[in-house]
Amino acid sequence: MATILLILHGLVAVALLGAITHQTLAACAPPRTKPLSFFGRFRAVPGAAFTNAVVVLYLVSWLLGAIVYLYFKIDVQPNLERDRHWHAMGYLDLKEDFVAIGLGLLPSYWFCWRRPVDGQNALIRAAVTILWRSLSGGPFSLVTS
Amino acid sequence: MSASPYRRFAFAFGAAFALFYVVARARGFALFTVYPAQGIILLGTHRSRDISDPVLDFLAPEMYWYGWTAFAAVGALVIGLVAALLPDRLCRFWAWCACVVPLIAMIASVYLTIPWFRL
Repeated sequence: MATILLILHGLVAVALLGAITHQTLAACAPPRTKPLSFFGRFRAVPGAAFTNAVVVLYLVSWLLGAIVYLYFKIDVQPNLERDRHWHAMGYLDLKEDFVAIGLGLLPSYWFCWRRPVDGQNALIRAAVTILWRSLSGGPFSLVTS
Repeated sequence: MSASPYRRFAFAFGAAFALFYVVARARGFALFTVYPAQGIILLGTHRSRDISDPVLDFLAPEMYWYGWTAFAAVGALVIGLVAALLPDRLCRFWAWCACVVPLIAMIASVYLTIPWFRL
């Protein structure tokens, strides 16, 4: 059961990472003309269209991680401590902190993309999106490192 | 009703959540403690080594992360509601806080995790 949840957790995290990366680039560097390169097409997505999907993916990923954490605490952490894998413990500790901070930013992130008005709040929207990208992408990188 | 109160709430919630979480993490303010091996939840911060022999605390590992998150959520909810009642001219301030405070919280989290890398 725990293995299935962990795999699901990873798959949802991958989808989240892809969606938030598209949106971050669309917010920070929207193409001015018709994109011709792969990078241009990558960031030419309508950023606001990803918002609800990103929120749902984040909440599902958070929930799955919160459940898997219970199994981890009982079955995995004692072995990590016994074998002195302190760095792995540190990365997981940091991951749970980033995930929690990202959870708190969810309402402001959703609100920034709720009614995008041309030119207004674009800077705040980009800043919140970049910050949120760091918080959600960081844990994925930490876990896979 | 205009969107301004919701905007102020959202930004204040984000900033306050990050702040309260780091404070809870640093000071050990958990709303509740989860003992997954025993399947029990206790209100407040508890350490199994305070009750049983310290060498036996591995039998009852405690989890504070849920309690820290709940503490931050409750505190941020109060701050968000207060911010929603304040004047709209503070909206820029809360937006600035929502960008800066979580960033500082991330740095503080890294600092609190450093001991793991010094073992």
